[in-house]
Amino acid sequence: MDLDTVKERAGPRQFSPDDDMPREYREAATRMIQFHANSEIMGAYLERPFIREAPSLDRKLAYSAKTQDELGHGQLLYRAAESLGIKTREQMLNELANGEGKFLNCFHYPMESWVETPMIAFFVDGAAMRRQATLKRTSWEPYAHAMDKVVFEEGFHIKHGESILKELATGSKKEQEMVQDAFETWWPRIIQFFGPTDDDSTHHDFSAEVGLKQMTNDELRQSFLNQYLPKAEKYGLEIPDTPTIEQDEDGNYRVAEDELDWEEFFQIAKNEYDPGRGQIDSRKRAHDAVEWVRETLDEYETTASGHAPQAAD
Amino acid sequence: MIWEVFRQEGAGKYHTHCGNVHAPDREMALMFAQIQHGRRKPTHSIWVTPQQEIGEVNEDGATFGGTTDKGYRWATQYNITAAAEEVADSESEQADAEKERGRR
Ligand SMILES: [Fe+2]
Ligand SMILES: [Fe+2]
Repeated sequence: MDLDTVKERAGPRQFSPDDDMPREYREAATRMIQFHANSEIMGAYLERPFIREAPSLDRKLAYSAKTQDELGHGQLLYRAAESLGIKTREQMLNELANGEGKFLNCFHYPMESWVETPMIAFFVDGAAMRRQATLKRTSWEPYAHAMDKVVFEEGFHIKHGESILKELATGSKKEQEMVQDAFETWWPRIIQFFGPTDDDSTHHDFSAEVGLKQMTNDELRQSFLNQYLPKAEKYGLEIPDTPTIEQDEDGNYRVAEDELDWEEFFQIAKNEYDPGRGQIDSRKRAHDAVEWVRETLDEYETTASGHAPQAAD
Repeated sequence: MIWEVFRQEGAGKYHTHCGNVHAPDREMALMFAQIQHGRRKPTHSIWVTPQQEIGEVNEDGATFGGTTDKGYRWATQYNITAAAEEVADSESEQADAEKERGRR
Protein backbone atom coordinates (compact mmCIF):
# COMPACT_ATOMS: atom_id res chain seq x y z
CA MET A 1 0.00 0.00 0.00
CA ASP A 2 1.39 3.42 -0.81
CA LEU A 3 1.38 6.32 1.59
CA ASP A 4 -1.43 8.20 -0.15
CA THR A 5 -3.73 5.19 0.11
CA VAL A 6 -2.81 4.85 3.78
CA LYS A 7 -3.75 8.47 4.43
CA GLU A 8 -6.95 8.09 2.48
CA ARG A 9 -8.01 4.93 4.30
CA ALA A 10 -6.74 6.00 7.73
CA GLY A 11 -9.42 5.39 10.36
CA PRO A 12 -10.06 3.44 13.55
CA ARG A 13 -8.62 -0.11 13.40
CA GLN A 14 -8.15 0.19 9.64
CA PHE A 15 -4.84 -1.64 9.28
CA SER A 16 -3.67 -5.04 10.46
CA PRO A 17 -0.78 -7.44 9.80
CA ASP A 18 -2.74 -8.63 6.73
CA ASP A 19 -2.12 -5.29 5.04
CA ASP A 20 1.06 -4.49 3.25
CA MET A 21 1.98 -1.26 5.02
CA PRO A 22 4.68 1.14 3.85
CA ARG A 23 7.85 1.39 5.88
CA GLU A 24 7.11 4.96 7.07
CA TYR A 25 3.89 3.79 8.68
CA ARG A 26 5.45 0.76 10.28
CA GLU A 27 8.32 2.80 11.66
CA ALA A 28 6.10 5.54 13.07
CA ALA A 29 3.79 2.98 14.67
CA THR A 30 6.73 1.06 16.11
CA ARG A 31 8.20 4.22 17.62
CA MET A 32 4.89 5.12 19.22
CA ILE A 33 3.99 1.68 20.57
CA GLN A 34 7.51 0.91 21.77
CA PHE A 35 7.52 4.20 23.71
CA HIS A 36 4.19 3.26 25.23
CA ALA A 37 5.36 -0.27 26.13
CA ASN A 38 8.59 1.03 27.69
CA SER A 39 6.58 3.50 29.75
CA GLU A 40 4.35 0.75 31.15
CA ILE A 41 7.42 -1.21 32.24
CA MET A 42 9.28 1.78 33.71
CA GLY A 43 6.13 2.88 35.55
CA ALA A 44 5.75 -0.57 37.08
CA TYR A 45 9.33 -0.54 38.34
CA LEU A 46 8.90 2.96 39.75
CA GLU A 47 5.92 1.80 41.78
CA ARG A 48 7.23 -1.62 42.72
CA PRO A 49 8.95 -0.55 46.00
CA PHE A 50 5.58 0.64 47.28
CA ILE A 51 4.18 -2.87 47.40
CA ARG A 52 6.52 -3.24 50.36
CA GLU A 53 5.96 0.30 51.68
CA ALA A 54 2.17 0.15 51.55
CA PRO A 55 0.62 0.90 54.95
CA SER A 56 -1.97 -1.91 54.95
CA LEU A 57 -2.54 -5.37 53.56
CA ASP A 58 -5.29 -4.14 51.24
CA ARG A 59 -3.04 -1.48 49.78
CA LYS A 60 -0.24 -4.01 49.37
CA LEU A 61 -2.47 -6.42 47.48
CA ALA A 62 -3.88 -3.66 45.31
CA TYR A 63 -0.43 -2.25 44.60
CA SER A 64 0.96 -5.63 43.63
CA ALA A 65 -2.07 -6.25 41.38
CA LYS A 66 -1.60 -2.86 39.73
CA THR A 67 2.12 -3.42 39.16
CA GLN A 68 1.36 -6.81 37.66
CA ASP A 69 -1.17 -5.16 35.33
CA GLU A 70 1.35 -2.54 34.16
CA LEU A 71 3.95 -5.17 33.31
CA GLY A 72 1.25 -7.05 31.44
CA HIS A 73 0.39 -3.87 29.50
CA GLY A 74 4.04 -3.58 28.53
CA GLN A 75 4.11 -7.16 27.25
CA LEU A 76 0.86 -6.73 25.30
CA LEU A 77 2.23 -3.60 23.68
CA TYR A 78 5.55 -5.18 22.71
CA ARG A 79 3.46 -7.82 20.94
CA ALA A 80 1.48 -5.13 19.13
CA ALA A 81 4.72 -3.39 18.13
CA GLU A 82 6.35 -6.64 17.05
CA SER A 83 3.46 -7.28 14.64
CA LEU A 84 4.73 -4.33 12.54
CA GLY A 85 7.82 -6.29 11.57
CA ILE A 86 10.36 -3.57 12.36
CA LYS A 87 11.74 -4.74 15.71
CA THR A 88 11.50 -7.89 17.77
CA ARG A 89 10.43 -7.89 21.40
CA GLU A 90 13.94 -8.97 22.35
CA GLN A 91 15.39 -5.95 20.56
CA MET A 92 13.01 -3.54 22.27
CA LEU A 93 13.76 -4.97 25.71
CA ASN A 94 17.48 -4.73 25.00
CA GLU A 95 17.07 -1.11 23.97
CA LEU A 96 15.24 -0.40 27.20
CA ALA A 97 18.03 -2.03 29.22
CA ASN A 98 20.88 -0.23 27.48
CA GLY A 99 19.31 3.20 27.74
CA GLU A 100 18.24 3.67 24.10
CA GLY A 101 14.56 3.00 24.72
CA LYS A 102 12.54 6.15 25.32
CA PHE A 103 9.68 6.47 27.79
CA LEU A 104 7.40 9.00 29.56
CA ASN A 105 8.98 11.95 31.35
CA CYS A 106 7.28 11.25 34.70
CA PHE A 107 8.93 7.85 35.06
CA HIS A 108 12.42 9.36 34.96
CA TYR A 109 11.94 10.81 38.45
CA PRO A 110 12.45 8.55 41.44
CA MET A 111 9.72 8.31 44.05
CA GLU A 112 10.78 8.40 47.66
CA SER A 113 7.74 8.29 49.84
CA TRP A 114 4.28 6.75 50.05
CA VAL A 115 2.65 10.20 49.92
CA GLU A 116 3.92 10.54 46.34
CA THR A 117 2.11 7.43 45.11
CA PRO A 118 -1.18 9.15 44.17
CA MET A 119 0.81 11.53 41.96
CA ILE A 120 1.54 8.55 39.73
CA ALA A 121 -1.39 6.26 40.49
CA PHE A 122 -4.04 8.96 40.21
CA PHE A 123 -2.73 11.88 38.16
CA VAL A 124 -0.28 10.19 35.80
CA ASP A 125 -2.47 7.11 35.29
CA GLY A 126 -5.40 9.49 34.85
CA ALA A 127 -3.51 11.46 32.21
CA ALA A 128 -2.38 8.26 30.51
CA MET A 129 -5.89 6.89 30.48
CA ARG A 130 -7.21 10.03 28.77
CA ARG A 131 -4.78 9.32 25.95
CA GLN A 132 -5.30 5.55 25.98
CA ALA A 133 -9.08 5.86 25.71
CA THR A 134 -8.56 7.78 22.44
CA LEU A 135 -6.12 5.11 21.20
CA LYS A 136 -8.90 2.53 21.10
CA ARG A 137 -9.51 4.24 17.76
CA THR A 138 -5.94 4.07 16.48
CA SER A 139 -5.47 2.77 12.94
CA TRP A 140 -3.12 -0.13 13.84
CA GLU A 141 -5.60 -2.80 14.91
CA PRO A 142 -3.31 -4.83 17.20
CA TYR A 143 -2.59 -1.60 19.11
CA ALA A 144 -6.31 -0.90 19.49
CA HIS A 145 -6.89 -4.44 20.73
CA ALA A 146 -4.17 -3.98 23.36
CA MET A 147 -5.93 -0.75 24.41
CA ASP A 148 -9.19 -2.65 24.97
CA LYS A 149 -7.57 -4.70 27.71
CA VAL A 150 -5.46 -1.86 29.09
CA VAL A 151 -8.41 0.50 29.44
CA PHE A 152 -10.49 -2.27 30.97
CA GLU A 153 -7.91 -2.58 33.76
CA GLU A 154 -7.01 1.08 34.22
CA GLY A 155 -10.32 1.98 35.89
CA PHE A 156 -9.14 0.09 38.94
CA HIS A 157 -5.73 1.81 38.94
CA ILE A 158 -7.21 5.28 38.93
CA LYS A 159 -9.85 4.63 41.55
CA HIS A 160 -7.25 2.96 43.74
CA GLY A 161 -4.94 5.96 43.28
CA GLU A 162 -7.73 8.38 44.07
CA SER A 163 -8.62 6.38 47.14
CA ILE A 164 -5.05 6.80 48.45
CA LEU A 165 -5.19 10.52 47.66
CA LYS A 166 -8.48 10.84 49.48
CA GLU A 167 -7.14 9.01 52.51
CA LEU A 168 -4.09 11.28 52.73
CA ALA A 169 -5.97 14.48 51.95
CA THR A 170 -8.52 13.82 54.68
CA GLY A 171 -5.91 12.47 57.10
CA SER A 172 -3.80 14.20 59.74
CA LYS A 173 -2.49 17.73 59.27
CA LYS A 174 0.97 16.24 58.70
CA GLU A 175 -0.34 13.95 55.96
CA GLN A 176 -2.12 16.84 54.29
CA GLU A 177 1.05 18.90 54.27
CA MET A 178 3.11 16.04 52.92
CA VAL A 179 0.70 15.33 50.10
CA GLN A 180 0.64 19.04 49.21
CA ASP A 181 4.47 19.00 49.07
CA ALA A 182 4.42 15.95 46.81
CA PHE A 183 1.83 17.62 44.61
CA GLU A 184 4.00 20.73 44.22
CA THR A 185 6.97 18.59 43.20
CA TRP A 186 5.03 16.51 40.69
CA TRP A 187 2.55 19.00 39.24
CA PRO A 188 4.86 20.61 36.62
CA ARG A 189 6.02 17.16 35.47
CA ILE A 190 2.42 16.03 35.17
CA ILE A 191 1.62 19.08 33.01
CA GLN A 192 4.64 18.25 30.86
CA PHE A 193 3.35 14.69 30.43
CA PHE A 194 1.54 15.84 27.28
CA GLY A 195 4.65 17.43 25.87
CA PRO A 196 5.05 20.96 24.58
CA THR A 197 2.46 22.74 22.46
CA ASP A 198 1.79 21.08 19.13
CA ASP A 199 3.82 23.42 16.93
CA ASP A 200 6.91 22.00 18.63
CA SER A 201 5.96 18.34 18.31
CA THR A 202 7.81 16.73 15.42
CA HIS A 203 6.04 13.40 15.12
CA HIS A 204 2.44 14.41 15.48
CA ASP A 205 1.49 15.44 11.97
CA PHE A 206 2.40 12.20 10.29
CA SER A 207 0.93 10.03 13.07
CA ALA A 208 -2.33 11.95 12.87
CA GLU A 209 -2.48 11.72 9.08
CA VAL A 210 -2.17 7.96 9.12
CA GLY A 211 -4.64 7.60 11.99
CA LEU A 212 -2.19 6.37 14.61
CA LYS A 213 -2.89 9.30 16.94
CA GLN A 214 -6.40 10.47 17.52
CA MET A 215 -5.92 13.65 19.51
CA THR A 216 -3.22 16.31 19.67
CA ASN A 217 -1.10 17.00 22.75
CA ASP A 218 -2.93 20.27 23.27
CA GLU A 219 -6.37 18.70 23.16
CA LEU A 220 -5.28 16.00 25.57
CA ARG A 221 -3.68 18.45 28.00
CA GLN A 222 -6.83 20.54 27.88
CA SER A 223 -9.14 17.63 28.54
CA PHE A 224 -6.89 16.37 31.32
CA LEU A 225 -6.96 19.75 33.07
CA ASN A 226 -10.73 19.99 32.64
CA GLN A 227 -11.18 16.68 34.37
CA TYR A 228 -8.40 16.51 36.94
CA LEU A 229 -7.76 20.07 38.07
CA PRO A 230 -11.14 20.21 39.83
CA LYS A 231 -10.28 16.86 41.42
CA ALA A 232 -7.10 18.26 42.91
CA GLU A 233 -9.07 21.20 44.28
CA LYS A 234 -11.74 18.90 45.63
CA TYR A 235 -9.13 17.21 47.82
CA GLY A 236 -7.94 20.55 49.10
CA LEU A 237 -4.73 20.59 47.09
CA GLU A 238 -3.49 24.03 46.26
CA ILE A 239 -2.51 24.39 42.60
CA PRO A 240 1.10 25.64 42.53
CA ASP A 241 1.74 29.15 41.14
CA THR A 242 4.07 27.80 38.47
CA PRO A 243 3.14 27.29 35.75
CA THR A 244 0.45 29.96 35.67
CA ILE A 245 -2.82 28.44 34.54
CA GLU A 246 -5.62 30.73 33.47
CA GLN A 247 -9.13 29.95 32.39
CA ASP A 248 -10.55 31.88 29.45
CA GLU A 249 -14.24 32.78 29.13
CA ASP A 250 -15.01 29.47 27.37
CA GLY A 251 -13.70 27.63 30.40
CA ASN A 252 -10.55 26.47 28.59
CA TYR A 253 -7.30 26.40 30.50
CA ARG A 254 -4.24 28.25 29.28
CA VAL A 255 -0.91 27.08 30.62
CA ALA A 256 2.04 29.49 30.63
CA GLU A 257 4.30 26.88 29.14
CA ASP A 258 7.42 28.99 29.06
CA GLU A 259 7.49 28.82 32.86
CA LEU A 260 8.15 25.08 32.69
CA ASP A 261 11.61 23.55 32.58
CA TRP A 262 11.84 22.35 28.98
CA GLU A 263 15.58 21.97 29.13
CA GLU A 264 15.11 19.21 31.70
CA PHE A 265 12.24 17.79 29.67
CA PHE A 266 14.33 17.44 26.51
CA GLN A 267 17.26 16.09 28.47
CA ILE A 268 14.86 13.45 29.79
CA ALA A 269 13.54 12.80 26.28
CA LYS A 270 17.09 11.86 25.27
CA ASN A 271 17.57 9.65 28.36
CA GLU A 272 20.28 12.01 29.53
CA TYR A 273 18.79 13.10 32.85
CA ASP A 274 20.83 11.59 35.69
CA PRO A 275 18.01 10.44 37.99
CA GLY A 276 16.33 8.92 34.91
CA ARG A 277 19.48 7.01 34.03
CA GLY A 278 19.36 5.73 37.60
CA GLN A 279 15.82 4.45 36.97
CA ILE A 280 16.90 2.71 33.76
CA ASP A 281 19.87 1.05 35.43
CA SER A 282 18.02 -0.03 38.54
CA ARG A 283 15.32 -1.64 36.39
CA LYS A 284 18.01 -3.48 34.47
CA ARG A 285 19.61 -4.72 37.70
CA ALA A 286 16.25 -5.85 39.11
CA HIS A 287 15.46 -7.61 35.81
CA ASP A 288 18.86 -9.33 35.69
CA ALA A 289 18.60 -10.40 39.32
CA VAL A 290 15.61 -12.61 38.55
CA GLU A 291 17.11 -14.22 35.46
CA TRP A 292 17.12 -17.49 37.45
CA VAL A 293 13.33 -17.32 37.77
CA ARG A 294 12.89 -17.04 34.00
CA GLU A 295 15.36 -19.86 33.45
CA THR A 296 13.62 -22.07 35.98
CA LEU A 297 10.26 -21.38 34.37
CA ASP A 298 11.57 -22.08 30.87
CA GLU A 299 13.06 -25.32 32.09
CA TYR A 300 9.86 -26.26 33.85
CA GLU A 301 7.80 -25.54 30.76
CA THR A 302 9.98 -27.65 28.49
CA THR A 303 10.27 -30.62 30.86
CA ALA A 304 7.03 -30.69 32.91
CA SER A 305 4.29 -32.75 31.35
CA GLY A 306 0.61 -33.06 32.10
CA HIS A 307 0.74 -30.08 34.45
CA ALA A 308 -1.21 -27.02 33.38
CA PRO A 309 0.50 -23.83 34.54
CA GLN A 310 -1.50 -21.70 36.95
CA ALA A 311 -3.19 -18.81 35.17
CA ALA A 312 -2.11 -15.36 36.28
CA ASP A 313 -5.44 -13.76 37.11
CA MET B 1 -22.25 -29.84 8.03
CA ILE B 2 -22.27 -27.41 10.97
CA TRP B 3 -20.91 -23.87 10.63
CA GLU B 4 -20.27 -21.62 13.61
CA VAL B 5 -21.40 -18.02 13.07
CA PHE B 6 -19.76 -14.83 14.30
CA ARG B 7 -21.52 -11.50 13.98
CA GLN B 8 -19.90 -8.06 13.99
CA GLU B 9 -22.15 -5.17 14.86
CA GLY B 10 -20.06 -2.31 13.48
CA ALA B 11 -16.75 -1.68 11.77
CA GLY B 12 -13.80 -2.19 14.11
CA LYS B 13 -15.80 -4.11 16.71
CA TYR B 14 -15.18 -7.73 17.60
CA HIS B 15 -16.96 -10.54 15.80
CA THR B 16 -18.83 -12.37 18.53
CA HIS B 17 -20.12 -15.87 18.38
CA CYS B 18 -23.90 -15.97 17.98
CA GLY B 19 -24.79 -19.55 17.11
CA ASN B 20 -24.48 -22.01 14.25
CA VAL B 21 -26.17 -23.03 11.00
CA HIS B 22 -26.36 -26.29 9.06
CA ALA B 23 -25.32 -25.93 5.43
CA PRO B 24 -23.63 -28.04 2.75
CA ASP B 25 -21.03 -25.41 1.81
CA ARG B 26 -19.56 -22.03 2.77
CA GLU B 27 -21.71 -20.05 0.38
CA MET B 28 -24.93 -21.52 1.71
CA ALA B 29 -23.67 -21.15 5.26
CA LEU B 30 -23.10 -17.43 4.69
CA MET B 31 -26.56 -17.07 3.25
CA PHE B 32 -28.26 -18.90 6.13
CA ALA B 33 -26.20 -16.95 8.64
CA GLN B 34 -27.38 -13.68 7.10
CA ILE B 35 -30.99 -14.74 7.32
CA GLN B 36 -30.71 -16.07 10.82
CA HIS B 37 -28.41 -13.54 12.45
CA GLY B 38 -28.17 -10.47 10.23
CA ARG B 39 -31.80 -9.61 9.63
CA ARG B 40 -33.12 -8.21 12.88
CA LYS B 41 -29.95 -6.86 14.42
CA PRO B 42 -27.61 -4.20 13.06
CA THR B 43 -24.81 -6.11 11.37
CA HIS B 44 -21.67 -5.00 9.65
CA SER B 45 -20.12 -8.37 8.84
CA ILE B 46 -20.58 -12.07 9.43
CA TRP B 47 -18.02 -14.87 9.60
CA VAL B 48 -18.70 -18.55 9.27
CA THR B 49 -16.29 -21.36 9.95
CA PRO B 50 -16.68 -25.16 9.89
CA GLN B 51 -17.27 -26.34 13.44
CA GLN B 52 -14.40 -28.84 13.34
CA GLU B 53 -11.98 -25.98 12.60
CA ILE B 54 -12.54 -24.45 16.04
CA GLY B 55 -9.82 -25.17 18.58
CA GLU B 56 -10.95 -25.54 22.16
CA VAL B 57 -9.51 -25.90 25.62
CA ASN B 58 -11.95 -26.07 28.55
CA GLU B 59 -11.79 -25.97 32.32
CA ASP B 60 -11.00 -29.68 32.52
CA GLY B 61 -7.80 -29.13 30.60
CA ALA B 62 -6.67 -25.74 31.85
CA THR B 63 -6.62 -23.56 34.92
CA PHE B 64 -8.31 -20.33 33.95
CA GLY B 65 -8.15 -17.16 35.97
CA GLY B 66 -10.86 -14.87 37.27
CA THR B 67 -12.41 -17.21 39.85
CA THR B 68 -10.56 -16.28 43.05
CA ASP B 69 -11.92 -13.44 45.14
CA LYS B 70 -9.62 -10.50 44.55
CA GLY B 71 -11.88 -7.63 45.42
CA TYR B 72 -8.98 -5.22 45.73
CA ARG B 73 -8.26 -5.35 42.00
CA TRP B 74 -11.70 -4.16 40.88
CA ALA B 75 -12.69 -0.54 40.34
CA THR B 76 -16.17 -1.36 41.63
CA GLN B 77 -14.77 -2.03 45.12
CA TYR B 78 -13.59 1.53 45.64
CA ASN B 79 -16.20 3.81 47.07
CA ILE B 80 -15.31 6.80 44.91
CA THR B 81 -17.06 8.42 41.96
CA ALA B 82 -15.15 7.84 38.72
CA ALA B 83 -12.83 10.77 37.99
CA ALA B 84 -13.57 10.84 34.27
CA GLU B 85 -15.79 9.36 31.60
CA GLU B 86 -13.22 6.76 30.55
CA VAL B 87 -12.78 5.69 34.18
CA ALA B 88 -16.53 5.20 34.49
CA ASP B 89 -16.55 3.18 31.24
CA SER B 90 -13.75 0.96 32.47
CA GLU B 91 -15.59 0.46 35.75
CA SER B 92 -18.79 -0.60 34.02
CA GLU B 93 -16.87 -3.07 31.83
CA GLN B 94 -15.43 -4.49 35.03
CA ALA B 95 -18.89 -4.63 36.60
CA ASP B 96 -20.09 -6.68 33.59
CA ALA B 97 -17.15 -9.05 33.96
CA GLU B 98 -17.96 -9.41 37.66
CA LYS B 99 -21.58 -10.25 36.87
CA GLU B 100 -20.43 -12.95 34.48
CA ARG B 101 -18.22 -14.41 37.18
CA GLY B 102 -21.14 -14.40 39.62
CA ARG B 103 -23.25 -16.38 37.17
CA ARG B 104 -20.97 -19.40 37.37
FE1 LIG C 1 -0.89 0.66 32.24
FE1 LIG D 1 -2.16 1.99 35.13
